[in-house]
Amino acid sequence: MNRLMSALSNIRFLLQHAIRVELRNRHGIAGLLVFAVAAVYTCYQATGTHAEQESWNALAWVVLLFAGFNAVSKPWADDDEGVRAFLIHAVQPQHWLIARTLYYMVLLGTVSTVTFAAFLLFLGMDHMSGWTAGHYYAGVMLTSTALASLLAMIQALASRAGGGFSLISVLGLPLIIPVILVSTRYGSDLMRGIAFGDTAHHLLFLATLSGGFFALGYILFPYLWRD
Amino acid sequence: MIQRSWKIGGIALLAYVFWTTLTVPLGPGLLEFRDRNEAASTDGITKRIETYELIGLGTHWTVQPEELRLFIRKGDRITPLPIIDVIDDTHAHAALLLPDTLPSKAWDVLINHPIDGTLFLQNGLFVEGFVVDESAQLPRPQFEERSSDLPHHFPFQPRIFETIRNLMLHVPMWFTMFLLMGIAFVASIRQLSQSAGGSSLFDLRAEASVQVGMVFGVLGLLTGSLWARYTWGAWWVDDPQLNGALVTVLVYAGYLILRGSVEDERLKARLAAVYNLFAFVILTILLMVLPRFTESLHPGKGGNPGFNSYDLDSSLRAVFYPAVLGWMLLGTWMYRIRLQATRLNQKLHRLNDE
Repeated sequence: MNRLMSALSNIRFLLQHAIRVELRNRHGIAGLLVFAVAAVYTCYQATGTHAEQESWNALAWVVLLFAGFNAVSKPWADDDEGVRAFLIHAVQPQHWLIARTLYYMVLLGTVSTVTFAAFLLFLGMDHMSGWTAGHYYAGVMLTSTALASLLAMIQALASRAGGGFSLISVLGLPLIIPVILVSTRYGSDLMRGIAFGDTAHHLLFLATLSGGFFALGYILFPYLWRD
Repeated sequence: MIQRSWKIGGIALLAYVFWTTLTVPLGPGLLEFRDRNEAASTDGITKRIETYELIGLGTHWTVQPEELRLFIRKGDRITPLPIIDVIDDTHAHAALLLPDTLPSKAWDVLINHPIDGTLFLQNGLFVEGFVVDESAQLPRPQFEERSSDLPHHFPFQPRIFETIRNLMLHVPMWFTMFLLMGIAFVASIRQLSQSAGGSSLFDLRAEASVQVGMVFGVLGLLTGSLWARYTWGAWWVDDPQLNGALVTVLVYAGYLILRGSVEDERLKARLAAVYNLFAFVILTILLMVLPRFTESLHPGKGGNPGFNSYDLDSSLRAVFYPAVLGWMLLGTWMYRIRLQATRLNQKLHRLNDE
């Protein structure tokens, strides 16, 4: 019980620390949001409010995916060799991974929410009612959870390999495609007017994928971290 | 000798596979049963006696043409149609001599012939201008399914035709890739589970088997694409099975790129092993799990990612299983050569450094 409490407080500390560092320099998060809104606005310029259902769905997921990848690709204080050398002795690698995953969930959740809101604002809600938009948003949030659980691991891997953004994309994009296949199908089902109950199994599948990615990361992360 | 026998066995199996794949003929089948009434409308035949043309592929109807029997079937109801004329081995004319009241409009077409056996064309006939009554009675003929008298041949499949031979080239590629990626997976687990500072021998094994596995993956994509061009009419179609295959190859390309971007040998061994475990799990999800949840055009699919037992008769099995074994043996041999080459290369570099 004591160990659990101390683990939780460690994770909480790491998460708070990550958020504090993020908020200390707000240019980073502002840059992400500008990127996302600019991407949505580009789509709006290209299609106006007349995007067909399938295009609407495709554009939404492409923008969400790349906004997400953009969000995790910025350099990170913990990636510094000196900081890592300190952290290895200070915290358990799994705790660090859990904190990082939670932090990515918050970050990607924020970015996705803003992106999706901008999408609804600019490209219109012709293809869905309020409830459907809510269901769509649930899919968006579960997708960012899946992205967070995979990219926490992949980002650490890429930074250990010293590869930067291009390596995150090369390693992460193919692995995330199963998630995107499920999300796009879910979105297109909703827009075609299929009842939520008949397509909700996609959400379950997304949650399972997130859980699977997280479990793999949890098992493998210590091997990645140690020297 | 024992060292070499499995390699010789693999080559012998592949030689047998190539020989039979390219020489065994395709079995006979029915292509079409079509209305030729427009051509015959002036010869005074009444409306109910329409002539139809029966078209086969690889059939032998001029041999004992009097023994050619034609039936149409709906569920358990079956009725004969008279053959008017056998034109040649693959063309015959038949009369649509039917009562005014029929139990259905859509019928399967069957023929019996002493050489070709019973051939079957699903929903081959659609009749119009009849009263449809479910309880309508039809003359019941003597019908017995007969097997073909032809020597060893591959089964006729609608739309697939001769491309069924691709089964021996395309499917074993993925089996072999799965085997090689499995070898890499086990090697990566052993690489990670050895104590820190261990050798990178297992890492070299994983690298070599992924490299050879990629060759088989790319060949699988190419043979599949070529087949799709002839059967589906496009080099690539949007299909869960195809997406899965392409993404798998991309993931392993990512593995090789990751290896290229790390300098330190020990770090490379560890990072590559970690990513490889991810890759194999994704491979399993994409090729084994996701296709079960989605519909697919791919043969043998439709909810079942294994090959469908109905599609595989004994003549195909006799070539397909040796093909899988032969390609796997060849893949293993390639992997061992690749591994030796990598290790020799490494040794050479070390000697050069000293």
